[in-house]
Amino acid sequence: MNLVIQLPLCARNLSDYLYSVQLLLGYLPTERALWPYELEKKRSQYSAYRDEFLLNPSEKIRRIEDSKLPRKKELNVVRSGLLPRSQVINEEHPLSFGKSSLWNKYFQESEILEQIDRDVKRTHPDMPFFSAKSNQESLRRILIVFSRLNPSVLYVQGMNEVLAPLFYVLKNDPDASNSASAEADTFFCFAELVSGFKNNYCKHLDNSQVGIRSTLSKLSQLLKKHDEELWRHMEVITKVYPQYYAFRWITLLLTMEFSFNVCIHIWDAILADPEGPPDTLLRICCAMLILVRKRLLVGDFTANIQLLQHYPLTNVDHLLHIANRLRGTVAS
Amino acid sequence: MESLRRRTLLKVIVLGDSGVGKTSLMNQYVHKKFSQQYKATIGADFLTKEVLIEDRLVTLQIWDTAGQERFQSLGVAFYRGADCCVLVYDVNAKRSFNTLGTWHDEFINQAGPSDPKHFPFILVGNKVDQDAGSRRVVPEKKAKDWCASKGNIPYFETSAKDDHNVDDAFLCIAKLALEHEHDQDIYFKTVAESAPKTEEQPAGCAC
Repeated sequence: MNLVIQLPLCARNLSDYLYSVQLLLGYLPTERALWPYELEKKRSQYSAYRDEFLLNPSEKIRRIEDSKLPRKKELNVVRSGLLPRSQVINEEHPLSFGKSSLWNKYFQESEILEQIDRDVKRTHPDMPFFSAKSNQESLRRILIVFSRLNPSVLYVQGMNEVLAPLFYVLKNDPDASNSASAEADTFFCFAELVSGFKNNYCKHLDNSQVGIRSTLSKLSQLLKKHDEELWRHMEVITKVYPQYYAFRWITLLLTMEFSFNVCIHIWDAILADPEGPPDTLLRICCAMLILVRKRLLVGDFTANIQLLQHYPLTNVDHLLHIANRLRGTVAS
Repeated sequence: MESLRRRTLLKVIVLGDSGVGKTSLMNQYVHKKFSQQYKATIGADFLTKEVLIEDRLVTLQIWDTAGQERFQSLGVAFYRGADCCVLVYDVNAKRSFNTLGTWHDEFINQAGPSDPKHFPFILVGNKVDQDAGSRRVVPEKKAKDWCASKGNIPYFETSAKDDHNVDDAFLCIAKLALEHEHDQDIYFKTVAESAPKTEEQPAGCAC
């Protein structure tokens, strides 16, 4: 399956559209004249992150050692034979348990790396774009760099799904230089996008005023405000709470609920809305419930959970239209 | 006459580390399908299956939960009211075996069953098909010892891929849950000293 990215009416061509996506995410500054400078700066910053976070300790140590050797001649002498024993400082030995050991840190992080690897491999495996090794590597590196730069969030399962549409559209930029730098650009766009939803990913905020539980209860309030009958049927009669179905909707920004191209369409609405992505997402979630209200009202617990975990979307525009009508009503 | 009094809905929770094959086991059991391409489970997925156990039609309401540690604190919403629990590990991944104790205790903590010592669990060692068992790192004996230490939890070695032992494992947990429910009924009846209303006297032993 290869997708043709459907352009919103306002965009003249794909490159323009992609710039607008990056503008909306706050990655590009509003002043167009600054773009080349800004892009260059960010791309080289990402390249520095890659060096810092992706080299394994032996490469890092080698680089440190290399920088200590002033002349190339000496380097050749050392390389030609075995590394003299004295050169492996005890602290940096792979079997050292010292807290500061680069290897120790490396092993601790290996669990996250395994998790990222596993999930990257199962990101849209039906699409050739995502089964390509080089693209999988890009996704993997972005997620690793992100996890290292955000120790309070690290990597949360499902982030691969949020990352995938961004990388797909930026990598398909007809401008070759942009496409070649898609990994760096995607990283920053992803970080910007996730920053608006960061609290949902933090376990330590689960019971706070800003964590995922509070976001789910906002959805519940929104539904109650707009369709009290449906709200009552769901939460009082059948006890189908948002935790059972909307947890995934919200933390993954609907990426698992719809097909890839429908998801991109919905994201355009989420990103472009002046109310901001978090509130817009909640309105769309509420609209999803209202759109299937007739079926929900006759459904029991089992039927309703199954319906909402496998959401039957028929008309995206209609969904967005309903979401639009709920504007200005998300409790802050 | 068939007893209509007892509820015939059982809530089953499937737990274990990410990537051990919980979703695959559940889909093999319910849909008789296997795929290498399941996405990570976020939150929890829900499926139902009807089974006939000793002439009783039982609906299993199976919750396939997310394996990542981040989602554990949200588990309580799913665990509440559970009738039984399937713990899953991958026989080729040591860490997934080492974390079983945490999954077990965390479940008891969050679900808060009235009789935690006798709450129905089973342990499933999945992916026994992988590389014809050559990559296996957790021996059967070790798993059985663990089960014994937790009050003789039944143990099953499965392959969700080859549909090996999957039905048996789920059938076992369903039976255990029914027995447990029955024991609890007797227990509560004795405690409350209340006879069931408007019901015929059971003919002979109810067991």
